[in-house]
Amino acid sequence: MEFLPDFDVKRPLTIVEAVAMAAMKNTCFLAGGTDLMPNLRRGVGNPKTLVDLSAIAEMTEINETDSGLCIGGGVTLQQLIANPQIQRDFNVVMEAAETIAGTTHRYTATVGGNLCLDTRCQYYNQSEWWRSANDYCLKHKGNICHVAPKGNICRAAFSGDLAPAMLIHEAQVELISTEGRRVVNLDDMYQEDGANSLTLKQGELLASVTLSKLDGYQTAYKKMRVRGGVDFPLAGVAMAVRGSEDNLEDMRIALTGTNSRPIRLEGTDALKGKPLDEAGLKALGKLVFAQVMPMRSTFTPAAYRRKVAINMVRRLALNLLCQAYSKR
Amino acid sequence: MANNSKTILKLTVNGEAREDLVPPNILLIDYLREVVTITGTKSGCDGGECGACTILINGNPTLSCISLAVSQSGKNIETIESLATNGRLSILQQMFHEKLGTQCGFCTPGMIMASEALLRKNDNPTDDEITKALEGNLCRCTGYVKILESVKAVIGDNARVRV
Amino acid sequence: MTKLNSELKPNKAVGDRLPLIDGIEKVSGKADYTADLDPRGALVGLILRSPYAHADITKLDISEALALPGVAAVITGDDCCAPFGILPISENEFPLVKDKVRYRGDAVAAVAAVDMRTAKKALDLIKLEVNELPAYFTAEEAMAANATLIHDDRTGNFERKISDEFGNAEKGFAQADLVREESYHCNEVTHAHMEPHAALAEYDVERDRLTLQSVTQVPYYVHLMLTQCMSMDSSKIRVIKPFVGGGFGARTETLNFEIIACLLARAAGAKVRMKLTREETFLTHRGRQETTIKLKMGLSKAGKILACHATVIQRGGAYGGYGTITSLYSGALLHAIYDIPNIKYDGFRVYSNTPACGAMRGHGTVNIRFAFESLLNSMAEDIGLDAFEVRRENLLPDKFETLNGLKALSYGLPECLDWVEKASGWNKKYKKLPKNKGIGIGCSHFVSGAGKTVHWTGEPAATIIIKLDFDGGITVFTGAADIGQGSSTIVTQLVAEVLGCDYGRIRVIANDSAITPKDNGSYSSRVTVMVGNATVDAANKLKDILLEAAAGKFQCAVADVECLGEAYQMKDRPDTALPFQNILDVALIGSGTISVKGTYFVPREYQGTGKHRGAAVGSSPGYSYGVSAAEVTVDEDTGMITVDNIWVAHDCGRAINPLSVEGQIQGGVWMGMAQALSEETRYHDGLHLNPNFIDYRFPTIVESPHIEIKIIEPGDANGPYGAKEASEGALSSIVAAIASAVKDATGVEITETPITPDRLLDAMDKQARKLHKQGKR
Repeated sequence: MEFLPDFDVKRPLTIVEAVAMAAMKNTCFLAGGTDLMPNLRRGVGNPKTLVDLSAIAEMTEINETDSGLCIGGGVTLQQLIANPQIQRDFNVVMEAAETIAGTTHRYTATVGGNLCLDTRCQYYNQSEWWRSANDYCLKHKGNICHVAPKGNICRAAFSGDLAPAMLIHEAQVELISTEGRRVVNLDDMYQEDGANSLTLKQGELLASVTLSKLDGYQTAYKKMRVRGGVDFPLAGVAMAVRGSEDNLEDMRIALTGTNSRPIRLEGTDALKGKPLDEAGLKALGKLVFAQVMPMRSTFTPAAYRRKVAINMVRRLALNLLCQAYSKR
Repeated sequence: MANNSKTILKLTVNGEAREDLVPPNILLIDYLREVVTITGTKSGCDGGECGACTILINGNPTLSCISLAVSQSGKNIETIESLATNGRLSILQQMFHEKLGTQCGFCTPGMIMASEALLRKNDNPTDDEITKALEGNLCRCTGYVKILESVKAVIGDNARVRV
Repeated sequence: MTKLNSELKPNKAVGDRLPLIDGIEKVSGKADYTADLDPRGALVGLILRSPYAHADITKLDISEALALPGVAAVITGDDCCAPFGILPISENEFPLVKDKVRYRGDAVAAVAAVDMRTAKKALDLIKLEVNELPAYFTAEEAMAANATLIHDDRTGNFERKISDEFGNAEKGFAQADLVREESYHCNEVTHAHMEPHAALAEYDVERDRLTLQSVTQVPYYVHLMLTQCMSMDSSKIRVIKPFVGGGFGARTETLNFEIIACLLARAAGAKVRMKLTREETFLTHRGRQETTIKLKMGLSKAGKILACHATVIQRGGAYGGYGTITSLYSGALLHAIYDIPNIKYDGFRVYSNTPACGAMRGHGTVNIRFAFESLLNSMAEDIGLDAFEVRRENLLPDKFETLNGLKALSYGLPECLDWVEKASGWNKKYKKLPKNKGIGIGCSHFVSGAGKTVHWTGEPAATIIIKLDFDGGITVFTGAADIGQGSSTIVTQLVAEVLGCDYGRIRVIANDSAITPKDNGSYSSRVTVMVGNATVDAANKLKDILLEAAAGKFQCAVADVECLGEAYQMKDRPDTALPFQNILDVALIGSGTISVKGTYFVPREYQGTGKHRGAAVGSSPGYSYGVSAAEVTVDEDTGMITVDNIWVAHDCGRAINPLSVEGQIQGGVWMGMAQALSEETRYHDGLHLNPNFIDYRFPTIVESPHIEIKIIEPGDANGPYGAKEASEGALSSIVAAIASAVKDATGVEITETPITPDRLLDAMDKQARKLHKQGKR
């Protein structure tokens, strides 16, 4: 019998019930469990109550909106991949979802779960014995970040694949708690702090995420990982471009795996209205170099992850522009 | 502990309706192995890494080592033990046996259940689709070559009806 | 009743693609592995592991843990006064440490309690205080002058230093047209068998008897070590091996948890179940050591290897284990693959404060073979010779004896080379593939069982007992451990071949020390040859009895009886045919149950010359040979290598079961690919950084290529029906094949494994900068 801490499990049927149950301290939501359960088995966290979201039907819907799509937080990744609208209008989201973990994980892992994925670090995703032998860390029970011992902030890396893809589509998340409902930009749900990468309040539930369609754009997701299945991203790039190699009309880029939060690459506007030539690619590389911040959160070196993020961004930009051109 | 009280879990396991008194923090794999006492489902890692524990829940492949038993209330669970009929192996099982898709056999129950889930949804998968379906099921013996051959042996023109 | 007709023929079992005889259990979920055994009444056993890498224990207080309700036993190093180890010369490990911990994860104390929760609580109540010592995580640090000793009796932290020279290497280098020296580095890898370690031990207080069921590949060695560490009469111990979920060498020595489970069971007077976590399974380790190799080779213009000198430093970890043998293998198997007149070997096995290494598939040969084949490929290119041609320049004769006294009767390397060269399309591909694509080859070999066992007793190398009784069932008793490789299936086929009978008549009972004969276990690819030969011997004895009974029945000479397997008749007289059972009934008259014993002794000349220290290591009744080619694509943006195709030819003498030979070769070559591409254990101040299947990255089905196989069957007079090794030899050729393919694709010389994307991208960048600089000049 594997060891799990003592907790109670509640299984609400509605969002209203769920947030009421989660209002107490030491409560956490359980969606697909593919991220939470391995952590609980490793002794990370000791919740008194798990609020299991799997029976809430209203969270498993995908509905068209005027400008896009509203996806319930409880929609599984497999459901997402199989959805015709996602396949048609949100290629980058589908591609990102397909790279997450393994097929079996995707049958239970949810959209909300992947957006709220706990940050990862080689000093954190370890057993209780291991972390105790290493004096714990800033993220859990300790006083030091082993990644950056001189700093006072946790440098665990955000490793969700959906977030960058959804940032490209101007995602907004619907957050519900006993205090009410609010809608925020997905971008604002994150902050650059590995120990507190989500700006959610206690008991706040990601009920749905709404994506806006991008007409006339080519989009794609590229993920650097050593294996073709299972692995978390060492760096992941989501991108949308419009135009051609001769004239880049617009470009949106978001990255994951390199920082404690998913990031939207800023400054690409300067490249617009020009060909994406050697100089443009160089400038693009510089933007990535300046904004990604991979650290020693994995044993794959940070310098490599930075380099590969730059290379992937450049390659993806060229490929998408080429595709855009050929589609005309 | 008051907040850790046992509850009655009603579900179906391999066609049999069950009611068991279980604690809220028991994993589905432990429920199957220690409460239902069927041990075909294997635990190969410390949670969610290897796929050896793959079973079907309402027909979907699921990792039982990171699923809670109490979350499965009302669901239909199928394990490796369910595939044979009156002691006769299913064609998929037979092909894993005949084509040597199993060596040490430890990943095999998970591998077969993940393949079974695929084949129920897609009875003529391509190599890429099989590969995709099994990407989270690790094997250390076969190099996967004969696993792929085993699954391919039950599809399309290769399908053989058992006598 | 057996059909008797003119169609009746003996079962030609050798060469049959028989599915594994225990495969049905495996695909139906009925196979019981150790963790599946009936846990009723069993206590939960847990181990307290050291958080310190190297420290003297100043206080170990278990009193609070012992006092916790539900705790049945708490044990420490004080509960076992004898050390254990696979080699009699380095038994320097205790199941629970005495006075000192040597790696982070070392076993300090153990608890048996009514349930997991209580056992965990008890572990938390044990108080450990230490005086930390300097700890060494690399061989270099541990070898430094004045380093603190990890074991007091091993000066300089060396487990073994070896210096052998056959011929005169310096002289050879002086004659050579091209001499190069390169350094190679192989990072540590581990077996990662899918089944985590587990043990179920039951102590019978009334009878003072112990039964252990465990995940072992070597039940006999476990039995020996239990006798020693438990201070028990060996007759009171029973060791059973249930289904085992892989091993690859991890379980070829007694492991501490197996003894701990028994110590706990005795202390508690009960049954104790231990299921190690995946992390603990990683920490128990015994994998392939981190190795630094300096290799010097001298070649003539024609491609003849005139000399080689290898200096090999192995980081062995905290305990001796198989270390000395690993180190000796690296030197000994520089021989017996090519005809090299001068070979010098300097080997250093070094202790470190990391989990102990041991035997892993291709024991001692994989890293050195990677270096050797890589350098040979590179030097062939330097002198403008083809990689296949240069190997053909250095072939051994069909039957040979090497400088270090290794003898063999078959040598299929030439045929392997021919097939791979053709099948891979080598001549159209090498240096001719598009940018970022490449092809490379490597060769390798391995023993078919060690000529001499580590515990030399004078007994046969293998023993088989066959029982045939009134029911007509043939029961074969073997101590050989089937761990998924299919050894029980091979035993079945050999019995069926000799007797010609149906498979349905044969049952194999394996691995219960109370029932089956002693066997040294499944390691060094010994089972097919050694246990196989013993099986053939036993089956022939049984056949003799049946032939004699038939002769009596037919009232003819034994030579005039024909065995048809399921029937016996007078030669060319189908009308006289009688079913097996009738002949058996005759044979049982006056004798009752028939029991025969077959044995195999390795002929003296295949046990090494004894002329130099360690000469027995590397000796074997026969050697397998393998050649593989790999075709790769490199992503220049990321440094990712995709292996597009693998071709591998393997000389296994004779494939008794081609299906399982294919499976072994595919699995072996795949495991080599994994070491080449992505596998490595990493440590943070001695703490294992990736003790899980997310970060210890062995390939998934997605990046595993098609592997095309050719089995080469020259037959070897020492093997049963000509068979030799079929699994380990295939592994090591592929590492260099992939490394050389990457070089063909990128121009980058690969000297470190695994060739992870970050390492390759770095190397490509470095090279680009170098070329850019040269271009500027």
